[in-house]
Amino acid sequence: MILEVLLIVAFGGAFLTYLFGKISSRLRDVFAVLVSLALVVITCLLYNKQQQIVYFVFFDIPLILRSNMLSWFFGITIVGIGLLSVIYSLGYMGKEEELDYYYFIMILINASMIGTVFSGDFISFFIFWEIMSWSTFLLISYKGGKALSAGMKYIIMSIIGSMTMLIAIISLYVTCGTLEFSSLVSQVKIASMSYNLFLLIMFGVVFTIINAFWPLHTWLPDAHAEAVSPFSAVLSAVLVRKGLYGLYLVMYIILGLNILNKLSFGFISYNNVFCFIGAVTTVFAAFSAFLQDDSKRILAWSTVGQGGYMILGIAFTTAIGLAGGMFHVLNHCIYIALLFFVAGAVEHQTGGIRDINRLGGLIKRMPVTFIGGVVGISGLIGLPLTCGFVSKWLIYKALILENHPFLAFAAFMGTWGTILYGYKFIHNIFLGQLPKEFEDVKEVPFSMKFPIILLTIAVILIGVLPGIPLKVINIINVSAGFKALSINISGVISETGVLNTVNIFAAILAVLLVIYLFFRTGAESERVPQEDSYAAGLYIPIEKYHYTVKFYDPFSRLAKPWLKDRIDNFYGWLTRIVGKTAERLRHIYTGDLGFYLVYIVLFLAALIFVQIICRPW
Amino acid sequence: MKIASFFLLPIIGFTVGIFFMGLSRRIMARIHWRYGPPLVQPLLDIIKLFHQRSISHGVIFEFGLLLSLAGGIVTLLFIPIGNICALNMSGGLLVVLYLMLLAPFGIALSGGEAANPNVSIGISRKMLLALSYEVPFLLALLAVMVEYNTISIVEIIELQRASSWGIVSLPLSGIALFLILPAMLGIRPFDMVEAPQEIASGPKVEYGGKFLALYTIERAFHEFIVIALFVNLFLGGANNPFTFFIKMLVIFTPFICISAVFPRFRIEQAIRFCWRLPTILALIGLIIASVWR
Repeated sequence: MILEVLLIVAFGGAFLTYLFGKISSRLRDVFAVLVSLALVVITCLLYNKQQQIVYFVFFDIPLILRSNMLSWFFGITIVGIGLLSVIYSLGYMGKEEELDYYYFIMILINASMIGTVFSGDFISFFIFWEIMSWSTFLLISYKGGKALSAGMKYIIMSIIGSMTMLIAIISLYVTCGTLEFSSLVSQVKIASMSYNLFLLIMFGVVFTIINAFWPLHTWLPDAHAEAVSPFSAVLSAVLVRKGLYGLYLVMYIILGLNILNKLSFGFISYNNVFCFIGAVTTVFAAFSAFLQDDSKRILAWSTVGQGGYMILGIAFTTAIGLAGGMFHVLNHCIYIALLFFVAGAVEHQTGGIRDINRLGGLIKRMPVTFIGGVVGISGLIGLPLTCGFVSKWLIYKALILENHPFLAFAAFMGTWGTILYGYKFIHNIFLGQLPKEFEDVKEVPFSMKFPIILLTIAVILIGVLPGIPLKVINIINVSAGFKALSINISGVISETGVLNTVNIFAAILAVLLVIYLFFRTGAESERVPQEDSYAAGLYIPIEKYHYTVKFYDPFSRLAKPWLKDRIDNFYGWLTRIVGKTAERLRHIYTGDLGFYLVYIVLFLAALIFVQIICRPW
Repeated sequence: MKIASFFLLPIIGFTVGIFFMGLSRRIMARIHWRYGPPLVQPLLDIIKLFHQRSISHGVIFEFGLLLSLAGGIVTLLFIPIGNICALNMSGGLLVVLYLMLLAPFGIALSGGEAANPNVSIGISRKMLLALSYEVPFLLALLAVMVEYNTISIVEIIELQRASSWGIVSLPLSGIALFLILPAMLGIRPFDMVEAPQEIASGPKVEYGGKFLALYTIERAFHEFIVIALFVNLFLGGANNPFTFFIKMLVIFTPFICISAVFPRFRIEQAIRFCWRLPTILALIGLIIASVWR
């Protein structure tokens, strides 16, 4: 019952938002927020409820909605980020044109994502998936121009993915006679190993594309950078992670651990391949992000890189790795949404500037945004006491204890790349010298501040009390046939190692307090403005120095030749070749009837020739 | 004992770190044919600085510095020194690795609030230097973790006691880590971060008075942590703090002699240095360790 209401509210709300927009823009804004809020409330009601309902019968195939912990876990992230980005849009979109359309698509995407995670058979899954793909395309290309070509890139890759998924679904129906998740579980057990591998590869392609794993990552940096910021947050935080939901569903729920473990040829197994992809994605994306100068492009590359961590954890078939991967999905969703909101806030207040080399010194002008940025970047790096730390700790531990030090090394290098670009992001936007043109930049309005503050708190809260989400993740793990981790509110207790974040938090807090008291006893200090700085008798120019703008130039010069996105270039080349070939083929349509008759005669002649020579018929 | 160790560890760390600072100035002076300041000079400097008036650029300027010092002290609590250990059960080496980030991150935030380009240049160099030494450092640490199949420092020390020291069972990783220790400590030839003649001491240029005092204390802790980590992982730790101190001294002294005579690297040269010999050694060490098991 609740499930049906959820979908009706989601889809109905999207259309009603559009209609209300025609009446009054104020009404539309209020209604959009209310719909998103209602979705959060309804999803919360579904917590820990096992339900399955048939909502429609389509040519004898029942279409099913089902809810369990896995879908709830992804569902709550969708509606949560959805609500915050709608609130954020109120300030960010301001008086842009075609806002009815914007809010309509925004809620429609949320609705379709909810549909994908709560659907209980592959037909519903595919339908919601397609609604999601198309509406995402519409919103990526919302701004037109560059955004349109980014959207095209996305939709082409997405269609290729959908087609492979469609093939897999049809073959599943032909082989097993059902598309329902729960009955497929028993059906695929009797299928042959090679068929299972076929299924995994087909589903693997589509979910790799949407997840933007190397080498199918190329759509993501453009799409994230060119979309409007509130939607970039949705895109990066939850939409991209639908791919992980799909992988988890196919790998662990439908096929199950037993079949996965059998799928190996010597050293190489299906999971190892994914681990390898994860490692490459992590390192490559981290160092690509490092060379970017566009604030949102940095974050986009970081989305690619963090996806690598998740798949390292999830493809690694141990309970601890899986828990780490799932936990990282949640954490990433929180801090990357926060960071996109921060980047959007800066873009909004400075008149659309995303080139971080032109910004700087905004810390005093936008203090709340700055705190949000620092906490978000700390989460991204995984500093202790932020949420990213716990999940990364779990993943590293799984990798090290299972004797995969090179994968662990790749993960560590990814983190170092993250530290470098993360600090560059903070420094070039908020720290250092303030350019003259930004001297009277103001803090963002409340509707944009509110999501930033809320997510900042969430990053730290989950970092200090990781037991809360880990409890949910444990239930998911158990349902996939893994042993539950022993956890408590403050971390992990297991035979192989203990993590207690509350201890660390208490230690840091206590030490900070002691140092602060000690610090207070020292001689007084005088507050001076930012610009009043000391240069050992040298003159400090008003413009920035070369090395404060191009922050890591010595390293970039070394690394740039190694970090060309050759894959993207290859796809570009492929597109041009296909375009040229099609262009040439087009010329056979001359519009002259005589030519077409000649074609027919030539074709028949060819057929007769073949028959005479080879006699195939 | 447990409660006492919470206080003992920072005191030991502070004393030894400051002693090493004094010692390095003294030895360096002798190599330069000077007399040099007394051993307690850094401590006297800190006390003096603490009573001098200073300037501050704002909340983050102060908070970042406090955070970096707190990060240093908390990291120390995770490192066993002899038989003293405060927080041995909360995550092990992985937590230490991450806690070690707090100190440079705090300094970077704090220094960045001032609009001083020298600070920015210094921090950008620090980040790149860290990237260059982290590669062999992580490879060496992974070799240790794989060899002993644990992430807890206490267990690693016990296992070394049962068989042989880490430097014997993992010679290549040990040598690699030894080679990059000066880069981790930030002493010449790797002092491009603070290069006083070029960028007016880099990250610390804006600090004066008590800020500079806290910064010096943070450096002392950092020096102590890096060397203590090496002693714990490769020289088998120690039974009591005194033996531990002797081992640290043996490791530290050669670096002072090196730093007294060598000129400064440029940052690219430092990256090239770290990514050649130490990385290759550490990589081979890790391959051997993971295949051996």
